[in-house]
Amino acid sequence: MCGAGFGHFRWLAGGGAGQDVGRSCILVSIAGKNVMLDCGMHMGFNDDRRFPDFSYITQNGRLTDFLDCVIISHFHLDHCGALPYFSEMVGYDGPIYMTHPTQAICPILLEDYRKIAVDKKGEANFFTSQMIKDCMKKVVAVHLHQTVQVDDELEIKAYYAGHVLGAAMFQIKVGSESVVYTGDYNMTPDRHLGAAWIDKCRPNLLITESTYATTIRDSKRCRERDFLKKVHETVERGGKVLIPVFALGRAQELCILLETFWERMNLKVPIYFSTGLTEKANHYYKLFIPWTNQKIRKTFVQRNMFEFKHIKAFDRAFADNPGPMVVFATPGMLHAGQSLQIFRKWAGNEKNMVIMPGYCVQGTVGHKILSGQRKLEMEGRQVLEVKMQVEYMSFSAHADAKGIMQLVGQAEPESVLLVHGEAKKMEFLKQKIEQELRVSCYMPANGETVTLPTSPSIPVGISLGLLKREMAQGLLPEAKKPRLLHGTLIMKDSNFRLVSSEQALKELGLAEHQLRFTCRVHLHDTRKEQETALRVYSHLKSILKDHCVQHLPDGSVTVESILIQAAAPSEDPGTKVLLVSWTYQDEELGSFLTSLLKKGLPQAPS
Amino acid sequence: MDPADDWLVDSLRLYQDFYAFDLSGATRVLEWIDDKGVFVAGYESLKKNEILHLKLPLRLSVNENKGLFPERDFKVRHGGFSDRSIFDLKHVPHTRLLVTSGLPGCYLQVWQVAEDSDVIKAVSTITVHEKEESLWPRVAVFSAVAPRVLHGARLRSLQVVDLESRKTTYTSDVSDSEELSSLQVLDADTFAFCCASGQLGLVDTRQKWAPLENRSPGPGSGGERWCAEVGSWGQGPGPSIASLGSDGRLCLLDPRDLCHPVSSVQCPVSIPSPDPELLRVTWAPGLKNCLAISGFDGTVQVYDATSWDGTRSQVEPLFTHRGHIFLDGNGMDPAPLVTTHTWHPCRPKTLLSATNDASLHVWDWVDLRAPH
Repeated sequence: MCGAGFGHFRWLAGGGAGQDVGRSCILVSIAGKNVMLDCGMHMGFNDDRRFPDFSYITQNGRLTDFLDCVIISHFHLDHCGALPYFSEMVGYDGPIYMTHPTQAICPILLEDYRKIAVDKKGEANFFTSQMIKDCMKKVVAVHLHQTVQVDDELEIKAYYAGHVLGAAMFQIKVGSESVVYTGDYNMTPDRHLGAAWIDKCRPNLLITESTYATTIRDSKRCRERDFLKKVHETVERGGKVLIPVFALGRAQELCILLETFWERMNLKVPIYFSTGLTEKANHYYKLFIPWTNQKIRKTFVQRNMFEFKHIKAFDRAFADNPGPMVVFATPGMLHAGQSLQIFRKWAGNEKNMVIMPGYCVQGTVGHKILSGQRKLEMEGRQVLEVKMQVEYMSFSAHADAKGIMQLVGQAEPESVLLVHGEAKKMEFLKQKIEQELRVSCYMPANGETVTLPTSPSIPVGISLGLLKREMAQGLLPEAKKPRLLHGTLIMKDSNFRLVSSEQALKELGLAEHQLRFTCRVHLHDTRKEQETALRVYSHLKSILKDHCVQHLPDGSVTVESILIQAAAPSEDPGTKVLLVSWTYQDEELGSFLTSLLKKGLPQAPS
Repeated sequence: MDPADDWLVDSLRLYQDFYAFDLSGATRVLEWIDDKGVFVAGYESLKKNEILHLKLPLRLSVNENKGLFPERDFKVRHGGFSDRSIFDLKHVPHTRLLVTSGLPGCYLQVWQVAEDSDVIKAVSTITVHEKEESLWPRVAVFSAVAPRVLHGARLRSLQVVDLESRKTTYTSDVSDSEELSSLQVLDADTFAFCCASGQLGLVDTRQKWAPLENRSPGPGSGGERWCAEVGSWGQGPGPSIASLGSDGRLCLLDPRDLCHPVSSVQCPVSIPSPDPELLRVTWAPGLKNCLAISGFDGTVQVYDATSWDGTRSQVEPLFTHRGHIFLDGNGMDPAPLVTTHTWHPCRPKTLLSATNDASLHVWDWVDLRAPH
């Protein structure tokens, strides 16, 4: 919806309230293009409220026609969980862009989630495995810093976001207008991922999550300390620690941490890594390397990342071994598989501990124990009493207030838009951003539309000939003052050129026509026409000191390019007629001369 | 492993809990509002300062099921901007008002913490009796149905002002130009003052100015600066006033006899203190006879004064918090200096401490004497 020289963005959120349980789905309209950013699932609801309301977007008409593309920032379900529903059940056949690791990991998480929803909770209106596969066929994977042409006007580029493996921030550009969407990102590097980074791309708008905008984060060291303390205390008293993890990424981080600590403290307690994870490890290895931070990459050059000194592969028989141990097992929400098996064996002993490292979807054992449930109904109506300690540690890396300011400082946008906050309550933050970073700050509520006016620049090429001619006028151009230039604007094939009129005529194959005006001025003068002409010449010369006034041999007078001739009409010898003639370009001067001459000539000195 | 990592491993046995934060600006203020939030405020002179109302991480506020709360972060609940530096901030209990003091010291600023948004707005000022360019008035609040503000930079400019009507309800009415270092409201009618010289006084506002006083501390008082805090007021016999000097001396006094300290000890601190105005001594609200001191360097020291009597001269701290030195400094910057500290009102061994490089720690120390 870009009018002449006036562009605007429309922003629409399908996001949810609340901290950990929000969902992301943002629609941006930029210079006539429509892009959907993320397509998340609201984890707190079991019914249709968990999906964004896509009817907001277009009342009638197909989404595929309306949307130019969909971009997914990373594999967390609150950013991609509604994607198969959206593409296969609502209907969208256009491209879906994401990074390579996201493309690899998304379908696994979606399938896991589908299994929980359908098999465990018996849900009806949910997407199928086939839908996930069909949805992923529409995915186009991108590399970091690679400019991808969605069509001949719209281009996108991914930037490193930290946060989780494969997470990216996206720049969306149409002509000279651009918007950057951050997704979730982190400004402090951790043990296995680097910090988010973006260049000074100066977008018109930067869209960033504000869920953590009003937090001041506890330092990474203290969070790690907390984890180490819990693990250490448990193994010291002879207990076993179970850490359910998804796959690489966070598990990697924790393994490196424990390995360092075990080495420092010279501990002998065994640490195990379940086989499910090691299998996936080699598969993800290639994906992982470009996404880790420098330190990790250097270490990996030296050894395979799963060759830890103190961490060994797990065998299910080990779960029955007496004595303390630490085990990393999949899946992460304790909803099936090895981690659940181990949990069932260890839950009854209060010396043991389970550390949940992330959010768990409703319906899983993980979710139940994090809600405080201590008696669980398992298959076959067996009741499991949970006496082991349950700890919930949030290892996810998000940017806090300080991090957001840092990123805004890097990108230097004109405006910032904060998503997922509670607008009324963030007045202070808005003021802070506006004052310190000198950008406008918007905080729309869910479902609200924000329109930002922009003034896009239209590049016009000026022909060399025209420039040279202007220079030849004699006056040097002044850097700060505008200079009036006459030319012809040619618009062809989205190209704008300013050329001289002659050139334009030539290109168009048109003949040049000259317009010439002639005006008659009657004067009372009894002398001969030659004398009249001389009188005219003297008069004009004395008045028009800035102009070039000449008396030609044939008796005519010129003022610049204007010609004045005196003639004597045959009827009346006392009257002389001045013929003043000028071209269209000299209209102004010509009119001026005419009115001047009409006032008459001064009396000749005697 | 680098020294920070080493210290972190040590910290596993030294602290029950430990949190470290980076504020956007250093603070000299840590003022509680209920037991779940604190106010901090910047004190820079050349740029805008922020006043923040921070909500403590949930883990510190709950007693049941602590393990189920993963959040370890502060939430900025309210914020405001101040053009002046802020050296003191007091919350007016049972209201949404704050009173701050800073330089230039010609007035106190009254703020309102909004209810329906996150803004702290300046609403009015309280002019002070004597306008000093380089001294800022100390502030304390009498909480009552009609709250009153006690303030003054010097003894002679001490005043109590009704917050609503701005009428002066009490003045010191003396010509003593002694500089004040702290003011503390003890109950509805009484307050304590401490002068920079070490002179202490307890004032009953129901009478004309006639404080119970001591004279400046004895020999050795050659230009030191003092501060003081009164502990559990009116709760039984024993020393309840602690006075700390910039030479590292810590005196405990009984209010019934301010002229003769019950005990006077020398704390093992690096002296002289680089900025004696930052000296702070506090009584632990939840531990009998426990004190904390700070302002000499990047540490906070906790002492148990139970067995202190007149004969003790050198004492050792029960616990020293060194986190600011190991976690924040990287050996290249100048060592940090603790600007203020405070005890958690409900958790007996939890303290908050802030430094001049904008770090803020919350720590729950382990009493290594206690049997496991």
